[in-house]
Amino acid sequence: MKENQKTYWKGIEQLTNDSEFVKKNESEFPEYLPVTDQEGNSNRRDFLKLMGFGIAAVSLAACETPVRKAIPYLNKPVDIDPSVPNYYASTYVNGGDAVSIVVKTREGRPIKIEGNKYSTIGQGGTNAQVEASVLSLYDKERLAGPTKDGADADWETVDKEIAAQLNDIAAKGGQIRIVSQSVLSPTTKRAVGEFASRFPTAQHVTYDAASAYGISEAHRRSFGEAMVPSYDFSKAHTIVSIGADFLGTWISPIQFSKQYSKTRKINEHHREMSRHFHFESNLSLTGSNADYRTPIKPSQAGPLVAAIYNGIAAKAGQAKVSGGASVEHASQAINELWATRGKSLVVSGSNDPMVQVLINGINSMLGNYGATIDANAPVHYRQGNDQAMSNLVKEMNGGAISAVIFFNCNPIYDSAEGVALSAAVSKVGLTISTSDRLDETASVVKYVAPDHHYLEQWNDAELREGHYSLLQPTISPIFKTRQAPESFLKWAGQDVEYYTYLQNNWRENFFGKQSDTSTFQTFWDKTLYDGVFETGGSNRSLSFDAAAANAAATSIAQNYKVSGGGFELSLYQKIGLGDGSQANNPWLQEMSDPITKATWDNYLTMSITDANEMGITLNEGETQLVDLTVGGTTVKVPALVQPGQAIGTLGMAVGYGRTKAGRVADGLGVNAYPMMTKLNGASVMDVFAGVSVTATGESYRIAQTQTHQTYMGRENVIQESTLPEYKKDASAGRWHPKVYQEGKYLKPSKITLWKGHEYSNHHWAMSIDMNSCTGCSACTVACQAENNVPVVGKEEVLNRREMAWIRIDRYYSAANPAGSKKELEDAAENPEVTFQPMMCQHCNNAPCETVCPVAATTHSSEGLNQMTYNRCIGTRYCANNCPYKVRRFNWFKYHDNTQFDMNSSMNNDLGKMVLNPDVTVRARGVMEKCTMCVQRIQAGKLAAKREDRRPVDGEINVACASACPSDAITFGDLNDQNSRISQLLQIEKKEDGEGATERVVNEERAYHVLEEINVNPNVWYMTKIRNKQKTEA
Amino acid sequence: MSDSKDFILGVYDDEDVLLHAVSKIRGAGIKIDEVYSPFPVHGLDDELGYKKSRLPIAAFLFGMLGTTLALTMQIWMLGIDWPMIIGGKNFVAIPDFVPVTFELTVLLAAFGMVGTFLVSSDLKPWKDPKLLDIRITDDKHIMAIDLAKNKAVDAAQIGSALKDSGAVEVNDKKVEE
Amino acid sequence: MQVTSPVRKPLITGGKTVHDVTEDICRQVEAKPSKLWLMAFGVSVVTLAIGFLAVAATLWEGIGMWGLNKTVGWAWDITNFVWWVGIGHAGTLISAVLLLFRQKWRMAINRAAEAMTIFAVICAAMFPVLHMGRPWLGAYWALPLPNTFGSLWVNFNSPLLWDVFAISTYFSVSLVFWYLGLVPDFATIRDRATGMRKTIYGALSLGWDGAARTWSRYESVSLILAGLATPLVLSVHTIVSFDFATSVIPGWHTTIFPPYFVAGAIFSGFAMVLTLMIVTRQVFKLQDYITIEHIELMNIVIIVTGSIVGIAYITEFFIAWYSGVPAEQYAFFNRMQGPYWWAYWSMMTCNVISPQLFWSKKIRTSIAATFIISIIVNIGMWFERFVIIVTSLHRDYLPSSWAMFYPTVYDMGVYLFTFGLFFTAFFLFAKFFPVINMAEVKSIVKSSSENSVEKTA
Repeated sequence: MKENQKTYWKGIEQLTNDSEFVKKNESEFPEYLPVTDQEGNSNRRDFLKLMGFGIAAVSLAACETPVRKAIPYLNKPVDIDPSVPNYYASTYVNGGDAVSIVVKTREGRPIKIEGNKYSTIGQGGTNAQVEASVLSLYDKERLAGPTKDGADADWETVDKEIAAQLNDIAAKGGQIRIVSQSVLSPTTKRAVGEFASRFPTAQHVTYDAASAYGISEAHRRSFGEAMVPSYDFSKAHTIVSIGADFLGTWISPIQFSKQYSKTRKINEHHREMSRHFHFESNLSLTGSNADYRTPIKPSQAGPLVAAIYNGIAAKAGQAKVSGGASVEHASQAINELWATRGKSLVVSGSNDPMVQVLINGINSMLGNYGATIDANAPVHYRQGNDQAMSNLVKEMNGGAISAVIFFNCNPIYDSAEGVALSAAVSKVGLTISTSDRLDETASVVKYVAPDHHYLEQWNDAELREGHYSLLQPTISPIFKTRQAPESFLKWAGQDVEYYTYLQNNWRENFFGKQSDTSTFQTFWDKTLYDGVFETGGSNRSLSFDAAAANAAATSIAQNYKVSGGGFELSLYQKIGLGDGSQANNPWLQEMSDPITKATWDNYLTMSITDANEMGITLNEGETQLVDLTVGGTTVKVPALVQPGQAIGTLGMAVGYGRTKAGRVADGLGVNAYPMMTKLNGASVMDVFAGVSVTATGESYRIAQTQTHQTYMGRENVIQESTLPEYKKDASAGRWHPKVYQEGKYLKPSKITLWKGHEYSNHHWAMSIDMNSCTGCSACTVACQAENNVPVVGKEEVLNRREMAWIRIDRYYSAANPAGSKKELEDAAENPEVTFQPMMCQHCNNAPCETVCPVAATTHSSEGLNQMTYNRCIGTRYCANNCPYKVRRFNWFKYHDNTQFDMNSSMNNDLGKMVLNPDVTVRARGVMEKCTMCVQRIQAGKLAAKREDRRPVDGEINVACASACPSDAITFGDLNDQNSRISQLLQIEKKEDGEGATERVVNEERAYHVLEEINVNPNVWYMTKIRNKQKTEA
Repeated sequence: MSDSKDFILGVYDDEDVLLHAVSKIRGAGIKIDEVYSPFPVHGLDDELGYKKSRLPIAAFLFGMLGTTLALTMQIWMLGIDWPMIIGGKNFVAIPDFVPVTFELTVLLAAFGMVGTFLVSSDLKPWKDPKLLDIRITDDKHIMAIDLAKNKAVDAAQIGSALKDSGAVEVNDKKVEE
Repeated sequence: MQVTSPVRKPLITGGKTVHDVTEDICRQVEAKPSKLWLMAFGVSVVTLAIGFLAVAATLWEGIGMWGLNKTVGWAWDITNFVWWVGIGHAGTLISAVLLLFRQKWRMAINRAAEAMTIFAVICAAMFPVLHMGRPWLGAYWALPLPNTFGSLWVNFNSPLLWDVFAISTYFSVSLVFWYLGLVPDFATIRDRATGMRKTIYGALSLGWDGAARTWSRYESVSLILAGLATPLVLSVHTIVSFDFATSVIPGWHTTIFPPYFVAGAIFSGFAMVLTLMIVTRQVFKLQDYITIEHIELMNIVIIVTGSIVGIAYITEFFIAWYSGVPAEQYAFFNRMQGPYWWAYWSMMTCNVISPQLFWSKKIRTSIAATFIISIIVNIGMWFERFVIIVTSLHRDYLPSSWAMFYPTVYDMGVYLFTFGLFFTAFFLFAKFFPVINMAEVKSIVKSSSENSVEKTA
């Protein structure tokens, strides 16, 4: 049939191709619905016509809704039993940080991170960032696949194009650079190596957001080998730290906390503990745990180190170096260092190689190398080379680089060169990133080939020379991501699955290094099970080069000049957010900072004196914005009055001011990385000059979870003493309340109407050692993850409605002498700090239980105070009557509520995968609180029952205790005479007069908070003992 | 007997006069059927020779009932049916049960007594009071004398007796049963 | 037979006869509503509507709409609750206690006072329900009802549960007492009315016929009810005070609370009665029944209770110091000098100082002064509860949890709602019910009206 040639035209306009008509014809509807036209006479008919069609069209479109299929297990996977958790050993890797962990999965979803006890480094400890990382896995703002120019693309095209361009760059001899933070994986390094051998012009440039280049460079200068040695605080009797926050953020804080806490554990039989001198500008977590803390300006650090060097040199009979200026407590530190030489440790947080050279000098004079410092097993957390990084940026700016691959890093945001780099990137032809999201860097590159989250990948990590830890996937990749090294190999023309590549590497390089297993499979399985594999380091013989020391001293003398009037700025990492790579994690954002107790923000910390001079006050979070000028650029930041801050110095946290991290983090705080300066080639966080602050008078509210600084000298809350006192009397610092009744003074527990109840089966209890608690807050995040505790956002924290079940109460000692009650409220300029983890005390005479009209909170037969959410009607009487104020109320509906979408673990389908199915998500209007992880207790009892035995002590552990990197929290069964807690508290059952057995706690340090009201808690606290001569302000 | 009652009504406007009148009339051997007043006249019931009301006894019994109910309820619910450990107290913590016991005692006493009162005086909604004189609820006291019950004395005598006792008016009233 | 001493001033002025009483009181029930009344009523209804928005928002979004937080779990809600309950006390007190003491001057005011009690208690009851996180459940879970949750009962150890019983008993008994008093007056209205009104008031009057036999029973019932209501009214505020007294929070855990709260309740109750009476007697022209004498007598009660309250405040401080308990001492130090010092000192001024002005006869007998002071007293009593609840909670044992409370517009809205409710109800009552107990007043016309007094004198 002959096809129709005719064209049917819809009117003159079409025939004449009237431009207006053509335009209209393209769009399905006219621009607007003409309800009335210009003349104003109604045009209802057209309107109705259009609407009619519109509705029809919409309803048609609605028919195309996607069909969702839910398929039940036909054959159940062998290793997945519904409601039974599986645990996999793996490794947390984030930039240069790595910790061996055990991942708890339920129905194939990782829901909780625990430390791996087999690891000699982490020893089962975790920290807030590790605990929170599981939520980052379910961050819905991760890239769902590769992108090109910011638009979604598929791997084929991306791979093809990248490979093609790399090849022809290589052909032209163009320079290729891979930029990354420290890479710990030997296998990944090998892959990168093969990439480099395929493209000979490729080089790997490493930097660290928190750089320790100073240390490795110093070791190169003083010993001839660039390295960061491993430190062992557990062997140190005297610890001197000059601005090294080793319990919080410095190099390997979890490991150091474990070691450090060992030296802080005391009891009647062991009345010795380490003495810790600390010199710093900002009040850090570590500084707040020190026995002697001296606030110094950053510019005093160098001279101080020199002074200590000279002090030790004098005793060691060695040559002094030029310069040096001492500060309070320095001479005492020197004497004690010398007295305990070989059992001491001096560390510095400075990234200036020169300072670190002197530190090395001091430690080698003290003979700490080989004792508390192990140079034979250098750690790999910090391999960054700031010099190389700056060079790279120069080259890029010069157009010398043709291709750059940002390998899981975000230098435009978190490197000192960030600003320069963002300009330089445009000068590079081929730019690639492997970030998991379109972050500050990935958003300006051409291709993004997103890497797996660490919980989705096979890999390995060499934490320290000869100490390996494996990563295994705990969930199949959620998005179309691909492991970065695999991408490198692919672009380099090798089509190999990374898992096989990893195994091959292990077969070739590590299988041989051990002898306990014969076949590789058994070796592999064992390593996978343990998660860790150790071969040990290699011997080195180091001798300190005194010349280096002199050079260092001269450089210090030049660079460290205490600026006259101006402020000095010292940047730091927050315990929660760290370098800011996990900024989009609401758990970390809402974790209240151990020191400032602030959430959701960074701010400028300033000393009380300076604040008073500028008329800045901090009251209930109410403060004011200041203009902070550093190196010519000015930013507006809130000021936070910080006791312990060295006068004339300012502190500011990096990790905030993200612009492309995701909706949780974007726009929070100010990015402080650009304020970093260069010193002897290293990126340092101290700014000596060019810093000025002016108050703007604009008020601002910082969301703090604790707004009151001191404990008002209340002995019923905090009981503390000093080591000399404790040596004399184990009950030093204890307060024994007595109540006067009928002519005699009685223990509060003797004054009661009731006999109380026997807990015959189990009696769960907890003991918290305030002496070893460093306040790191790992427990708070662990609890949040374990118990589905909602995030409520900055506004609600400002309203004092944060939901944390366990909080760390941080108390400063008051200014001495506090005359009136009012003065008791003011913290001292350089206060002593006490941390007190506070959660439901599970009182046996619980005031909350009595007052609930509907019996929604009652006591279990195992001594637990339990909350029945279903029954709760929300009168809040229990919370009012709780003397510890640990009960939390659901003021709003925090789940499936768009007003709380920052609470991502309850407000989007992906985020919800992190929820613990064993714990209810609480409804609006009900009360909640610490349950002592009753779901874990039940699970443990069930496991024991199935094997027809009693639960073994330690097999049931609560989330906070198992997370604690300093083993400050002990949980167990008081009825079990051999349980750790019974041993710790030295529990003894005694017959009291009336025939009933009463429990006697013989540990002198153990006390109940608020003992005088006889609520008889199941949580004991151990007195805080400071290793100092006399109690000082 | 006819299905109608014949009354002679003495109308008084002063309670003291009324009181004297009552004693006079009864002294004259005339049976007073009932006296109606707009407000309580103290001593009138004695004059009419009414027995003291037994309502207080009813109140007391209902009160006791309340006490027992309250105590058994609380002891059974918290002590027997489902004992729960609450604030380390005994399952049956008597001191804590006092307030509820007291309240229920008062509640039952009050309601029981008022109920009894309404029933005994036959007070209920929609009931027609069959007033002998509309002014009863305004300002007049009415002394009603049922002729049927006073066959002995003749109507005229009663009328004059009422007049003498200080009644401002004397009316005859036939009430249809 | 009652004997009234000649020194007693007349309780009814203007030479009223028994019939006049009927006329005067029934007039405003029967007449068309006055402009003044319509205006007042309109304003109350509007207030009610506005307040309801806040109530709705609270129910829809959650208690988070209020200013409460993890540390201060109760603030305006329970403050208002205690305040309204306190106000409620005067009614029962006046009619019951004064009846036992044969105080005739009560007769003109007890009706309105009892009505006020009923409405105040309704307003009070709003808060325990509204302040719950889940009122839709709490409203009935707080009762010991057989249920399908397994035999799950309420907690009889909880003062809040005692409140449930106390408030509901108090409410229902007051209601019966009030209604019983109304029956004879309804009969009066019935017999003056025609048509629809006759049937309605007829039904309400339960076929009352004023027979001497009924009157004698009626009298003994009233007397016993009064006897029951008196310990009841004292128990209610005692139990309300247990909410605090039995807790462990410094500033709450205080054995003086029961008497102190009861005195406070009478104090604020009488003040509120005065406020309302002064308005009512102007609006309905009842000067002859609610005389200066009445007002003066009530003012005297206010001096007495006000002084008791003042002594209670001072005792608290002394005991706090004497106990030697640091937390307790700080709680009271914090009331005077803490962030809420202004609330504390407003309370002191309004409750302790202002009533003392009544020592002067001039002020005691001045309508204007009485009206102003009666309002000041109620402001003061609101602050008393605010001080007890908020300043005790916001800084208790652990300084780490110390926090401030700032009210939101919703806190205020809910309070406004109860005002709307109260006055709407009160104006309806004032229009359709006899505001003065006719039967009782009639019984004293002879003995205590001016002319009679002259006779005896």
